[in-house]
Amino acid sequence: MIDLQFENVSKRYRVQGEAQPKGSGLLSRIRSSAGGKKDFWALRDVSFSVKRGESLGIIGHNGAGKSTILKLLSNITAPSRGKIRINGRLSALLEVGSGFHPELTGRENTYLSGSILGMRRSEITSKMESIIDFAGVRRFIDIPVKRYSSGMYVRLGFSIAAHLDPDILLLDEVLAVGDLGFQEKCKKRIMELHEQGTTLVFISHDLSAVRSLCQRVILMQQGQIIGEGTADEVIQQYTEQASFHSKPQIRGEARLAEIVNVAFYDKEGNRATSFSTGGPLTARLEYLVHKPISEGAVSLYFMNIDGGIATQWTTSLSGSSIRMEHGRRSVEFSCEELGLQPGVYSIDANIEISGTREEVEWQHGCTSIHVDSDKELRGQFYMPHTWREPAESEAISETEVPAASRL
Amino acid sequence: MQLEQEISTYPQAAEKATPRKVKVISPPSFSPSLLFSGLVELFWYRDLFYTLSIHRIKVRYKQSALGFSWAIVQPISLMLIYTIIFSIFTRIPTGGTPYNLFVLSAILPWTFFQTAISSSASGLVSHTGLITKVYFPREILPLTYVVAALFDFLIAGVILGVMMAYYHVALTINVFYIIPILLVETMLAAGISLLLSSMQVKYRDIGIAMPLLLQLWMFGSPVVYSYSFVPHRFRWFYVLNPMTGIVENFRRVLIEGIGADLSLLGISAGIAVILLPVAYLYFKHREATMADII
Repeated sequence: MIDLQFENVSKRYRVQGEAQPKGSGLLSRIRSSAGGKKDFWALRDVSFSVKRGESLGIIGHNGAGKSTILKLLSNITAPSRGKIRINGRLSALLEVGSGFHPELTGRENTYLSGSILGMRRSEITSKMESIIDFAGVRRFIDIPVKRYSSGMYVRLGFSIAAHLDPDILLLDEVLAVGDLGFQEKCKKRIMELHEQGTTLVFISHDLSAVRSLCQRVILMQQGQIIGEGTADEVIQQYTEQASFHSKPQIRGEARLAEIVNVAFYDKEGNRATSFSTGGPLTARLEYLVHKPISEGAVSLYFMNIDGGIATQWTTSLSGSSIRMEHGRRSVEFSCEELGLQPGVYSIDANIEISGTREEVEWQHGCTSIHVDSDKELRGQFYMPHTWREPAESEAISETEVPAASRL
Repeated sequence: MQLEQEISTYPQAAEKATPRKVKVISPPSFSPSLLFSGLVELFWYRDLFYTLSIHRIKVRYKQSALGFSWAIVQPISLMLIYTIIFSIFTRIPTGGTPYNLFVLSAILPWTFFQTAISSSASGLVSHTGLITKVYFPREILPLTYVVAALFDFLIAGVILGVMMAYYHVALTINVFYIIPILLVETMLAAGISLLLSSMQVKYRDIGIAMPLLLQLWMFGSPVVYSYSFVPHRFRWFYVLNPMTGIVENFRRVLIEGIGADLSLLGISAGIAVILLPVAYLYFKHREATMADII
């Protein structure tokens, strides 16, 4: 039983040649149709299908076409070519609290939002009590929502959406909203729906979520499907794909040095892109020096999905700098116990003059690694630790700090 | 805080035994089947239409001191100013009816039309957030403004009734013509609002031109004067205005108590009946790509 089918779907956006304000007057439209209009194909001949009860993940870099698929599935826009077949009721959990009007009460907004999402009035009435309980806003349900805290707003919005009973559920980064307790609720509800046999389509950057939720995954790039398979297979393909590519960041003057390669290795010395939390890994950065630098420093940055820096490896940690002679050189970093939590991390690298912030070379997103964990560890990072059961009278043990990593 | 609420204890939805409907999303086309599928979808979303209409009416007057009485203030103040100008400064013949009653009975249907069109023209553009995030038949948005205008019309009708009683104007059997007249007017307003709201998504200057257009249109309709006041040589052109048949007949059947001028009404009805499906088809055609350009 096929629930969802994309048949040779293509989507084209017409982009104006020169910068023009949207929805300009009739006259300027006539003028511009003579000028250059470029076509941008967000999707090119995409076909896939989803069986009943299956959960499909769609991953890919920004601009790959994921949000276009989202818009097409939720019927917000129409394809330029091809057809989309949807068998059953599709609900999209894209934005929580859509349609909320600040002047209306929580109850009135529940009716409004619920009907926008496709529920019948009678359905909303019968589920009203449960919606209020799930959101935990019973005391405030008859107060205008402009008085709600942002937490209440999001909880009510999600509660309404959680009570949708769709045949097909479409999800995107909505799971990233709200506090931790709320996110747990979201995840739990989605797992429940999945167990009840709801077909799931999940579009996200959060690879660990995709892995835990999806049986099958599609990899998108520049509007086409370039990979399809199990979550593990496709995520592997995604991270391996991001091999080193050099993009000169500092233009203008000739660079003093140039980063040529960044690669990671496992403890056997083989090239790898997948590592475990708490496990060992090594990185080697090769660079070419054009003009000698007397005091240099090399750093590797591990970047989160959202672009923030998770952590950094740097040669300036030990206090000494590198004397960079002309020619091909390299730096090797190694770590015994990786502190990063599971996820995909993009790697930035830079070379700078020690002691100053003067950058010699900087490569953004030169490669990426995938971190996994066989143990479920909570929190933002892993800290190596040991434990024991001391007797009553014993003093606190002194922890031994390995010499190499002393700051 | 009941954060530990077990989700599985809430009511299970209706059994999955109900057959699933298949939806096919294809590139926008201009085929008449769009009309049919559009109406089917609209019926499916009737609850939303109802909810949004109620919401539109409520929000209009919420938090305002005068509330619903604004629906009365507008026609009354118009009536006063027109009476002063066209009955005191100068004299327009009304065939015996007191001028204030004469003009009020035309202001009502005109205000309904004017409010419906001017408020719905930007109905889509003012809901950009909704349109880019959630699917529902977009025509619901402009149509709720038409419903809200109708609601205002009914409230203002109370004032008209009071004035008629004051002037001892009796209702005759011809008052039942009001039903087809209102029907034609609603169809006309709906058609034009569908057309304008979808066009405004692409060409924003429609919203700017609206007040001027409606002003001119009003003077081109028998609101402050009667149809018989129009010189014969202009009549062939004058009757092409669909509002002529509506406003003139509304006044005739209500105030004068005589039957409707069927030829005039026929022209208005003909225009409305052709315009509405064409406007709807155009709307559905543009709807597909609205979210891309709004």
